[in-house]
Amino acid sequence: MKKIFTLFAILSLMTAVSCDAWLDVKPYDKMAEDELLSSEEGFIKFLNGIYIELNRDMLYGGALSVEMVEIMGGAYAVGTDNSVWGNYADLAEYEYGTEYWRARMNETWNKAYSLILNCNLLLENLESTGVKFSGDNMKVIKGEAIALRAMLHFDMLRLFGPVYSRNPQALSIPYYKKYTLVPNALLPASEVASEIMNDLQEARILLANDPIVTSGTMTTPPADASSVFMYYRNLRLNYYAVTGLMARCALYFGDRESAYEYSTEVIDASNAGIFPFVDKSLVTGSPDDPDRIFSSEVIFALTHSQRNTLFKSYFDPSRIPNYVFRMDNDLMSNVVFGGGAMTGGNQDDYRYRVNWVATGANRYFYKYSDMNDTGNICNTMIPMIRLGEMYLIAAESRSEDIGSGLAYVNALRSNRGVNGLQSLTREILQYEYIRELYGEGQLFFMYKRMFTPVLFTSNANRNPQPSDAIFVVPLPDSETDN
Amino acid sequence: MSMKIRIFFILILLLPFWSLNAQNDVAVLKGKVLDAADGYPLIGVTVMVEGTKYGTVTDVDGAYELHIPREKCEVTFSYVGYDDEVRMFTLKNASAFNRIVMSMNAEQLADVVVTGVYERKKESFTGASATFKADELKAVGSTNVLQSLKTLDPSFKMMESTQFGSNPNMMPDIEIRGKTSVVGLKEEYGTDPNQPLFILDGFETTLETIMNLNMNRVASVTILKDAASTAIYGSKASNGVVVIETKAPARGRLQLSYKGDFGLSLADLSDYNLMNAREKLEFETLAGVYRDNMNDPFAQVRLDNLRNERLKEIERGVDTYWLSEPIRPGFTHKHNIYAEGGEDKIRYGIGLSYGNVGGVMKDSDRRTIEGNVDLIYRTGKFQFSNKLSINYLDVTNPTVSFAEYAYANPYYRKFNADGKVDKYLYYPEEGIDDYPVANPLWNAHLNNWDTASGFGFTNNFIFEWFVTEALRLRAKFGLTKQDEDEQVRLSPQHTRFDDMGETEKGLYSHTQIKELVYEGDVAVTYGKLFAKKHMVNAVGGFNFSNNSRHIYGYSANGFTDDQFDAPSFANGYPDGDSPDYSESLKRAASFYINGGYVYDDRYLLDFNYRLDGASMFGTGNRFRNTWSVGTGWNIHKEPFMRDRDFFSMLKIRGSVGNPGNQNFSAYQAFSTYKFNGWMTNVFGTGVILNALGNTDLAWQETVNYDLGADLTFWGDRVNVTLDYYWKHTDPLLAVITTPGSMGVTSVAMNAGSQKTQGWETTFRISPIYRPSEGINWNISINATSSRSVYADIGNSFSALNESGKSSLVGTTRYYDGGSPTAIWAVRSAGIDPATGKELFIKKDGTYSFTYDVNDEVVVGDTQPKVEGLIGTMFYFKGLSVGCYFRYRWGGQVFNSSLFQKVENIGTQDVYNNQDKRALYDRWSENNREAYFKGISLVQRTEKSSRFVMDDNSIVGESFNIGYEFPDRIARRMRLGAMNIQMTMTDVFRASSVRVERGIDYPFARTVTMSIGITF
Repeated sequence: MKKIFTLFAILSLMTAVSCDAWLDVKPYDKMAEDELLSSEEGFIKFLNGIYIELNRDMLYGGALSVEMVEIMGGAYAVGTDNSVWGNYADLAEYEYGTEYWRARMNETWNKAYSLILNCNLLLENLESTGVKFSGDNMKVIKGEAIALRAMLHFDMLRLFGPVYSRNPQALSIPYYKKYTLVPNALLPASEVASEIMNDLQEARILLANDPIVTSGTMTTPPADASSVFMYYRNLRLNYYAVTGLMARCALYFGDRESAYEYSTEVIDASNAGIFPFVDKSLVTGSPDDPDRIFSSEVIFALTHSQRNTLFKSYFDPSRIPNYVFRMDNDLMSNVVFGGGAMTGGNQDDYRYRVNWVATGANRYFYKYSDMNDTGNICNTMIPMIRLGEMYLIAAESRSEDIGSGLAYVNALRSNRGVNGLQSLTREILQYEYIRELYGEGQLFFMYKRMFTPVLFTSNANRNPQPSDAIFVVPLPDSETDN
Repeated sequence: MSMKIRIFFILILLLPFWSLNAQNDVAVLKGKVLDAADGYPLIGVTVMVEGTKYGTVTDVDGAYELHIPREKCEVTFSYVGYDDEVRMFTLKNASAFNRIVMSMNAEQLADVVVTGVYERKKESFTGASATFKADELKAVGSTNVLQSLKTLDPSFKMMESTQFGSNPNMMPDIEIRGKTSVVGLKEEYGTDPNQPLFILDGFETTLETIMNLNMNRVASVTILKDAASTAIYGSKASNGVVVIETKAPARGRLQLSYKGDFGLSLADLSDYNLMNAREKLEFETLAGVYRDNMNDPFAQVRLDNLRNERLKEIERGVDTYWLSEPIRPGFTHKHNIYAEGGEDKIRYGIGLSYGNVGGVMKDSDRRTIEGNVDLIYRTGKFQFSNKLSINYLDVTNPTVSFAEYAYANPYYRKFNADGKVDKYLYYPEEGIDDYPVANPLWNAHLNNWDTASGFGFTNNFIFEWFVTEALRLRAKFGLTKQDEDEQVRLSPQHTRFDDMGETEKGLYSHTQIKELVYEGDVAVTYGKLFAKKHMVNAVGGFNFSNNSRHIYGYSANGFTDDQFDAPSFANGYPDGDSPDYSESLKRAASFYINGGYVYDDRYLLDFNYRLDGASMFGTGNRFRNTWSVGTGWNIHKEPFMRDRDFFSMLKIRGSVGNPGNQNFSAYQAFSTYKFNGWMTNVFGTGVILNALGNTDLAWQETVNYDLGADLTFWGDRVNVTLDYYWKHTDPLLAVITTPGSMGVTSVAMNAGSQKTQGWETTFRISPIYRPSEGINWNISINATSSRSVYADIGNSFSALNESGKSSLVGTTRYYDGGSPTAIWAVRSAGIDPATGKELFIKKDGTYSFTYDVNDEVVVGDTQPKVEGLIGTMFYFKGLSVGCYFRYRWGGQVFNSSLFQKVENIGTQDVYNNQDKRALYDRWSENNREAYFKGISLVQRTEKSSRFVMDDNSIVGESFNIGYEFPDRIARRMRLGAMNIQMTMTDVFRASSVRVERGIDYPFARTVTMSIGITF
C-alpha cells in the first residue's frame, strides 16, 4: 500500500508537470499577454495602442486639450443659457462637485491611470522578454513608454494636485511605476515631481539615439519602408519631445534653470532644422488652405484619425444654435489680438489670420479644421508640445527677471508676422501663451502655475481670482472611496 | 497525456503482490452465487471461511473458488445490500456449495452511498451524506429531481426567487449547507460560485441538464455534504456534490413501461395587495397628483378635469383587475416510455421522454424531448456499458413582465369602446408635460416573441475490467455536445420604440451558444476483506476534463410591420453595434486516491487525496491539493452492544478536509489584450489591455469539519441523523472595486475569509411499523441552522459597503465579524406622533430626527434561526398518503414592498398601482399613531429597522396520495404493474410578513397526477 502510494505520488507529480502545458489555455476571443508580447511587432502594437488611446475624448481627444481644461482655463466665453451650455456653465464657475463633472473627472482620472497601467505592463514585459529587437527599437520603446507614464502622471498632478508654487508638500496623487494589485498611497506633490523628472530623465537617456536627432521628424517615409515604426517621430514622444516636456515640468515645479536649459536645447534643435518655423508661404501664401497648426513646429502631436470631429463638435460656427467654443469678443479684440504695444496683440498675427475666421459678426476658431489635402497627416495632429511654448518657457526662465526673456518672445513674434515688443511683463507673456497655445489645453495650468486670475474676459473684475477652490480639482470618487 | 496510460499499467503490474496468500488447504470449494430475485450471477460477493484469513470474491460469472483450511468450518457469503448467507462445511457437503442463492435485503439496499467514483456501505462510510431512491423522490413531487430533494433534505436549498417566481425557464440558485462565496462573482462571471457539483451517472454535468432530466429515469440521488464524502471531487467540491444515477436496464424478457405526469398550475397572487380603483384615486389625490404645484389656475382646471374623468369612470364601475390578464392555468404533461430487457451478456434499455411544462403566465412554456439508449455488454472479465441520450429543448417566454400589469392602474379600462386594445391607457394632450401610460396589453398583443431552443447529446462510455476478485479497473469517457439558440423579436409597434426613427423600430436579436465538454477518467478499485476483520477499500485514478463554450450573437432592427417578423425583413443593424462573440475554454486534470479501512465492522477510517490542476487558475497557483480524513465508530457492533437488539445502528463519525471551489470564469487569472478597434493610425493597429489578470489568484478553499451520528433503534422504527459542521473558507475569492489609480476599476482577488457553523438533523419515527403487512406510518422532522461570519476582510469591500449605504434598498454589508446575511440599517423608533417624522436611534442610543447612514447596525438576519420540514407518510398495502410542511423561524426580512410600494413612492411611481397599505395607516393629523409616514411624493424614506420584519413562515410544500394496484388487479388489466399518484405542491403559505413575491413572474401552486404502467 505504501509502495503504491509513493509510486502514485511520484507519477502524479510527473504527469502534473506534463499536464501543465495542457492546462495552459489561451483565450481565442482576446489576446493573451504572452502571445501578444512574443515578438517585437507585439510590443510595437502595444505601444501604439497606448498612443491611440490618448486620443480618447476623456483625455487629449477632448477633455485635456480643447474641452474641459480649456473651459477651466477661461479660453471660451461660456453662455448662461442652460439649454445651450448645459454643464459647461457649472465648470466655468468651477463647480467641480456636480454629479456630471464628478463623473467626468473620474472618467479622465481612470483612463489616464489605466494607460499608466498599460505603460507599466509594457515596461515589465519588456524587462523580462527574450524577444530580439532590431536596432535601437527596444530602447526607443522603453523610453517612450516611460515618458508616456511621466506625461500622464504630470497632467494628473497638474489637474488634481495642489498649486505647486504655493504648496509643494501637499498630498496629491499616487505614482505608479509598477503593475500592482495593491493601491499606492497619495504622495506629496514634490515627490511626484521628482518621480516625474526621474522618469523623464531616464527616458531621455534611453532616447539619446532617437533618429530624430540626426534625421529629423521623417514625416515622409520611403515607400519601400518595411516598418514605419521609426518614422513620424513628431507623432511620438521623441527625444526632443521628452526634453520639451521636461522644460514644461521643470517650469511648473519652479526649477527655472532646468526649464531654461531644456527649452533652449529644443530651440537649438529647431535652429538646426529639426523643427523649423512654419514656412510663411504655407500660412499667408495660401489663405484658403493654410497649415493652421504650424505642423513643422510641433514637437509632439497625437495622431487622431477623425480629428475634424473636434472642430465639428466644439468650434464649427454651423453648430449654432448649439454651443460653439470661441474667445470672448472683447478679450480677442482688445487684448489677445489687439491693444497694440500694451498687450502685443495685433491682427496681422499669423495666429489670428489663420485660425480665427469670421462668420457674421464673430470670429471662430479654426485651428482644428482640416486642410483641403485630405490625406495630409496634419489633419490628424493634435499638438501636445510645440516650439512656441519652448520659446515662451525660455523667455520666462532665462532669469528671475521676466524682462530678460524679451529676445525669445521677439524671436517667436518675428516668425508670427508681428513686430517685436519693447519690454516683457508677465501679463504680456500670458497673452503670448494664449496666442500661441490656444485650444491646446495648457492655459489653465499656466494660470495655476502663476497663481493669477483666469482671463475669461478683458474685464479684470469679471475674471475669477486665483484660489485653491478654482485651481485644485478634488480627487475623483473612485479614488477616495476605495 | 500518455502518462496516464503508463500509470495504470504500472498499477496493474503491482496488483498480484496484493493478493498473495499462503496456501495449505484441505479442500477447494467451487461454485456460483446467484441472485434469488432473477437467478443472475452476483459479482463481487465476499466468501470467507469464518475465523480464518481464507476468503475470496466471486468473479463476473458469479463463480468462486475457495480454499478451505479445516475440515469443518463455517463459510459466509456477504454482499452489499444482500442478506448474509452462512453455511457449514463438513468436507462431505461440497456439492451444497455449487449453487448459493442470496436475496436482497430491501432495507440494506438503501444503505449504499454512491459517490459517483466509488460505492460504500453506509454503515462503513464516515462521510455525511443522504441517499434518496426514486420512489421517495417521486412521492413528494414530480416537477424535477431538485424540487423533490429540497423537500427531503434540509441542507439542500433551492433559493426562492422573489423576482422570477415559478418561471419554468429560470434556473434556480442552489446551495448545500450555505454559501461559501462572496457576492459579485455571479454578476461578474455569470457562474454561480455557490452551486454544488452535479454528477450524473459518474460524469460531471450542469444544473440545466438535471433540471431537464425526466424524473422517471432517475434511480437514486445522493447528496454528499462533508469533506470526507466530497473530497474525492477535490477542488470542485466545496459546495457539496449531488450524485444522480439513472436507472440501468434490468435483465429479463423485454419489458415496456410507461410513466406519465399530468399537472395543473395556478398562479398564487395572494401576496399581492394592490389598491382598487377608488383607493388608487384617493391615494393619488392625497399625494397631490391633481394639485398644481405652481398654483396655475388653468393647469389646476385641467387636473380637476382629469380627476373627475377618472372618478366618473370609477362611478361607471371601472375597477380593472390587471393581474388576471397575463396569467393562465398552466398545463403540464410529461411522458416516458422505456423498453428494457436482455440476458446475461447483454442488456439494453431504450427510452423516450417528452415533457411540456406550461407556466402560469401566457406564452411561458418549456418543452423537452429526450431519447436515450442504454447498453451493457459483459463478457468474461470485461464489461462495457454505454449511455447515450439525445435531447431537444424548446422554450418560450412572455415578452411583457408581470410587473407591468401590477403597475397598471385599476381605473383604466383594458379595452376601448370597440373592444380593441389601445396603445396607451392615458396619453397627455398636446403641450402637457406629462408621461403617457402604456397599456401592457398592447405590447402583449403584438407579434413579439422570446424563444430559445437547444439540441444536444451526451454519450457516456464505461469500460470495466474485473482483474481479480478484489481488483477492478474502470475507464470512462463522456462527451457532451450542446447547442442553444435564442431569438428575441420585438415588434416595431412596441412602445419602447416610440421615440425612434421609422427605420430603427423593431428589434431582432439572435444568440447562439455552442458547448462541447469531454471528460475522461481511469480508476483502479480494490476491495478485500482480510482475516474477516480487516476490510480494505482503495480507489485511485486520473481524471481530465475539457469544457469549451462559444457564444455568437447579433441584433438587427428596422422592421416596418408587426406581422412580418422574419429577420429578413429587418432594415439593418443598430447603429454602432458589432457582433457579439465570446469564447471560453476550461481544462482540468486531476489525480485522486481514496482509501477506506474498517476493522471488524467497528472502527472506520477513510481518507481522500486529490491533486487538481485547472486552467482557470494562475500559473503561480495552478495545482492544488485536496485531502480529507474521516473516522467512525459503529458502537452497535461492539460486543457490549451486541446482546442488545435495541440499536440496529449507532454510529458516530467525524471528518475533516479542505475541498475547493472552481466555479469561476475561464480567463480571470491572466491579462488579456484587445485591439483598440475604434482607431488606427499611420503606425497601423494598436493593442491595449482588455482585462487585468491576477496570476497569483489562489483557489478558494474551505476547510470543513463535520461531526455526526446515525442512529436506528426500536426495531428500525426510529431513525436519527445528527450533524454538526464547521466550515472555514479561506481565502475568499471576490471581485473587488479598486481605486481608479490602479488602472482598473475592479479586479478578482483573494480577500478575507468566512466562517460558518451549523447543524442539521433528521428524525424519523414509525409509530406503526408492520413491514410484513405493508403497513407503515412515519413522521419525519428535519431541521437545519447555520451562522456565518466574515473575518480578515478589513477594508477590501469598503466600496461595496459604500455603494450599499448610498443605494436605495441595499442592506448587505461586509465587515469583519458581520454575517453575510445580516440586514444593516439604522434603528428606528417609529413615527413621531407629533410631527409625523421618523425618529431614528443613533449608535450611542440617543434619538434623532436626522438620518445618518453611519448609525447603521445589524437589525436582523435573513438566515432563519432554524428551518426545515415536517412530514408524514402513511402506507397501507398499496395506498400511500403523505404531506410535507416547510417551516422557517427566527429570520428577518427587509420588507421591500413596504419600503418601495408604501413609502418612497416618488413622482414617477405614483402613476403605478401601489400596495393598499400605501393608503391606510399613514400618518396625518387625524391619524397620529400611524406606522407609516404621511403621504408624500418628495420625501425620501431611508432604510431603517421599521421595515425589517420577522419572517416566520410555514408552507404546505407537498401533499400526495398514491396507490399501487395489487398484482391481481394489474394482471386482470393485462398489465405487469400499475400505480397512480396525485401530488400537490406549494398548496398554502402562511407567513408573518407580507411581501410581494413573484415580481416579474408569479409563483404557482401545482397539482400533478402521475401514472406508471409496466406492461
